[in-house]
Amino acid sequence: MNHMKSSTKVGILFIVTLLLIIGFALALGAIQPFSNSYELKIAYNFAGGIEVGSPVRVMGIKVGKVRSIEFVPDFKMPETGQEVKLVITVSIDKKAWPTVRKDSQYFINLAGVIGEKFLEITPGTLEAAEVTPGQVVRGEDPPRIDQLISQSYSLAGKVIEFVNKNEGSVIDTIDTMNKLVVNLDKALRQLEKTSRDQDVQRIIKNIGTMTDDLAFFSQKMRSPEGLKTLALINELIRRLEPLDSDAIHKFLQKEGIKAHIF
Amino acid sequence: MRVVVDFADFLAKSISATVTPPFRRADVIKQVEFIAWESTPVVLFSVCFAAMVTIVEASFHMKLVIHNDALVPGFAALLILRELGAVVSALLLTSRVGAGVAAEVGSMKITEQLDALKMLGIDPYRFLVAPRLVACMIGGFVLSIVANIACLYCAMMVSEVRLGYSIGTFLMAMRTFVSFKDLIFASIKGLCFGAAIPLVSCFFGFRCRSGAEGVGEATTNSVVVASVAIIVMDFVLSYVFSHYY
Repeated sequence: MNHMKSSTKVGILFIVTLLLIIGFALALGAIQPFSNSYELKIAYNFAGGIEVGSPVRVMGIKVGKVRSIEFVPDFKMPETGQEVKLVITVSIDKKAWPTVRKDSQYFINLAGVIGEKFLEITPGTLEAAEVTPGQVVRGEDPPRIDQLISQSYSLAGKVIEFVNKNEGSVIDTIDTMNKLVVNLDKALRQLEKTSRDQDVQRIIKNIGTMTDDLAFFSQKMRSPEGLKTLALINELIRRLEPLDSDAIHKFLQKEGIKAHIF
Repeated sequence: MRVVVDFADFLAKSISATVTPPFRRADVIKQVEFIAWESTPVVLFSVCFAAMVTIVEASFHMKLVIHNDALVPGFAALLILRELGAVVSALLLTSRVGAGVAAEVGSMKITEQLDALKMLGIDPYRFLVAPRLVACMIGGFVLSIVANIACLYCAMMVSEVRLGYSIGTFLMAMRTFVSFKDLIFASIKGLCFGAAIPLVSCFFGFRCRSGAEGVGEATTNSVVVASVAIIVMDFVLSYVFSHYY
């Protein structure tokens, strides 16, 4: 090394430095000599903090990055005529390009612990045509947190205003509801206590048995035999009808039965 | 106050000798060899260790504070590029080159070689200061780039071996935080620090008092003043560059 000429050493140092600069630029993606991507322009009215260099993902896989952000005050969407003032140019790898279709959607999302912003592209359906490189598409504006907060703030204000205006009736209502709940609680407690009482349990059990018996009876009555018996009783009553009540009375007296008949 | 006026005079003469022909190209190349080529091993060795300490310490602190060191690769890469690489290499250059130049020029002064040069009609600013200034600016520029890239490489290795982040993860995190202009700003810093070292050293060398003691004093003063100047310039430059982010 020491026998090298000074100019050779300095030359080597310069070449190494130059190579390191180029290597660093390549590693950072600042220069891309072998570009393998197409460009797409996405229009937004609100881009939620996306920056030049932010990653672009299709189905969660990084396929490119945001190349530039332009403010275009007089831009209108070619198809709908809608005014959109922000045009973001992104690069997308050629291999991912066929998944980006006319019906793809372009969201701005947040990822990682540092809250890195990225552009997510949903894959389109096969029925829709592919987008052409350089085409302008409309992105989905991300929700504005400040707007949401301001809306919920105004909602909270309205609720407070309503409560303030109707303070008396609101308090009365709450009071009544409170009493209602207390009473309901008492009633439920009573019911629970009652259901635990042994007499009540026995009564319930007996009612059960009775209804079982009745069901058995009514079932029997509905059978052909039962219907026949019913018809016979009917016939008997019909035949008994002409008999004098006095005769029955006598008969019953003779048998020693005291009864008021008819 | 007298020193400031003297330095302003010295600065004007040095710059004038540097930017006007004839240029002493051979001397510049020789000085670049001494300043950049011969300093490279010691600078690389030191900054690599500084980078390792940075990333390990950053990880330790991150874990202590937020119980997560996922940000460390990007964070450390940015810190290395914005401060560490350029400043550490410039301070090393000061201790090696600054001391050397001050001692050399101081010795020439006390042995009346400077007067001899003047008698021969050779401008000492053109003969001594200009080649060292140009060479040291080139050296500072080159070394800051080489040191920064070496630092990043070391940080990447440490983050893979010690912290478990793969090279891909490191590069990904680095891309999030670092941009190409960080390297440009670092090299501009290197250039400015490189300019400060020979100017301060030659200034103290030219003012060297007679005797070995005088040379020692000039050397010490030049190293101290150049180091302080580098730190102050770093603050000023960082402040200026922060407007370009």
